[in-house]
Amino acid sequence: MECSLDCESRVTIKVEGLSYRYNSASALDGLTFEVERGELVGLVGPNGSGKTTLLKCLSRVLTPCSGVILLDGRDISKMSLLEVARICASVPSEFSADVNLPVVDAVLLGRHPHVRGVWWEDERDEEVAMRAIERMKISDFARRRLGELSSGEKQRVMLAKALAQEAKVLLVDEPVAYLDIRYQLEIMEILRTLADDGVTVIAAMHQLSLAARYCDKLIVLKKGRIVACGKPEEVICEELIEDVYGVKAFVQKLPSVGLVVIPVATVDGGGVR
Amino acid sequence: MSVVKRKVILLVALSFAGLLVLSVLSMSSLVFGAKEASLWEVAASLNRLLLFGWPIGNYLPLPSCVDLSLDSILYYSRIPRTIVAVLIGSGLAASGAIMQAIARNPLVDPYISGVSSGAALGAALSLLTSWFTGVAQMISLPLAAFAGGLTAFTLTFLIYRASGETPLSFVLGGVIVGVAFTSLTTLLIVTSDKELHGVLFWVFGSVAYASWDNVWVLAPIIVSLTLACLLFARDLNVFLLGDEQAVQMGVNVKLFRRGMMVVAALMASSCVAFTGIIGFVGLVVPHIVRLALGSDHRLLLPLSSIFGANLLLAADIIARIAMKPIELPVGVITSFIGVPFFAYLLIRRGKRYGM
Repeated sequence: MECSLDCESRVTIKVEGLSYRYNSASALDGLTFEVERGELVGLVGPNGSGKTTLLKCLSRVLTPCSGVILLDGRDISKMSLLEVARICASVPSEFSADVNLPVVDAVLLGRHPHVRGVWWEDERDEEVAMRAIERMKISDFARRRLGELSSGEKQRVMLAKALAQEAKVLLVDEPVAYLDIRYQLEIMEILRTLADDGVTVIAAMHQLSLAARYCDKLIVLKKGRIVACGKPEEVICEELIEDVYGVKAFVQKLPSVGLVVIPVATVDGGGVR
Repeated sequence: MSVVKRKVILLVALSFAGLLVLSVLSMSSLVFGAKEASLWEVAASLNRLLLFGWPIGNYLPLPSCVDLSLDSILYYSRIPRTIVAVLIGSGLAASGAIMQAIARNPLVDPYISGVSSGAALGAALSLLTSWFTGVAQMISLPLAAFAGGLTAFTLTFLIYRASGETPLSFVLGGVIVGVAFTSLTTLLIVTSDKELHGVLFWVFGSVAYASWDNVWVLAPIIVSLTLACLLFARDLNVFLLGDEQAVQMGVNVKLFRRGMMVVAALMASSCVAFTGIIGFVGLVVPHIVRLALGSDHRLLLPLSSIFGANLLLAADIIARIAMKPIELPVGVITSFIGVPFFAYLLIRRGKRYGM
């Protein structure tokens, strides 16, 4: 068992020449990168730079125009949707779930790709879902319905759903967007422990300081292209932020905190648009 | 208690309760009508029918003092009428529940989505033109209704797609498609030289003319389609998280939605083919079940079927006795229940659903 794991390459996701177009507008342009097992990868870049599109291609919601995505060495375009769903879970930044759906049911839906029976989840499915609920600290409102929750609470429910899916790869779109600073840190800590447990996590983020502190690797996108890829301290610098976002920023490495990025002022002529 | 066990118990208990009420309603449906009869007389007649079949005289020399007119009314009218009401009620409610799931819109039912009007046009074409007669018409009637219903549903969906995919655009799309098809049906009825058996009743929806022929065509369609939907209840649940999540959880959304659209349209259309347009059953029933128990389709679909049957049967009994001796079309009764309910949904929940 050990050997077979080691003989397998450590790479879980390999992307080669990935391109995607919305009608005529190019959204992703020849992306090539690799992600290793158990890495927490931050996907950063301005709005419209292709972060969400990339995540959707990886979870097979969108089919790329060209390029190959290998998941555990297998081409995902040749896998069934259910096979992909068993390996790869995703948490969208925005979603319009049914308002009458109880939280417990939403999390249990994460078991969908794994349920063996025709109708009911078995005891193990429920156990996994309950663990996910505890881990995301949502048991207080587990009996309430989605329509009664705040967007931050909903986001944690969706993360719990993804945990219940027991995926090897977790694709998260703006996991901390609607959360207060405490939950921002809690979610990042949870993503970090998941990665340390061997789950590969790719998170699209806007909070550069958080991304730099928690991620093993950052992929910086601009207009559908990768402009930088590597360890946060190697990638994040004032020049890059000015180039990518069109923003003058203050970047410093604080001894007890890590990298801190403070946006200061916009720069004319920079940015995406 | 575990979440799943709780659901199983709820499902069994409520199904049992629903079926119990349904049997009481069915018995009442046999008792009430133009000819007054006591429960005891009806029971005696039913007993004779069950033992000897119909017509009774062929098999058994009965003393002439036994009045067989009630037996005849039960056999030719009230029994098929009751069965058809049960089938239609459950078919419309299940179809409504499925439409609400695949359109992700709680304000949709066979009537509002235009399916009923489309099916009515198809059925009117088959009944009023002399293209088919006899047995051919018996088969062509549900087929024509289905073609009409599916066409209307597809049109509504296309309008919905083209107009920004908001819940409101689906409702409005359905309304204009419905109006268009209803006008065509009216045109057909007015210009036809054929006398359509109780045209008015048919336009408003009624089970008064239900016959055994209807039962034999409807029963296999409704029962098999309901069972087929139940198999996919878990996949319908994934739709509750939105299209993208459904794809991401391993459901082929496009294929599945099309399949379910056909099934829902088929169910609703075959109901319309035999009883005309009966509105709002498909709206009210799934909605009440959903409010009470949440949106899990493993509870929602079977319980909507059972309670839909209850609602339509009750409405039909009311239609018979409310203004005795005049009999009302059952569609009028369901509209009396459904319209205020729809208004309530729009006012109370419209904001939540982004309208």
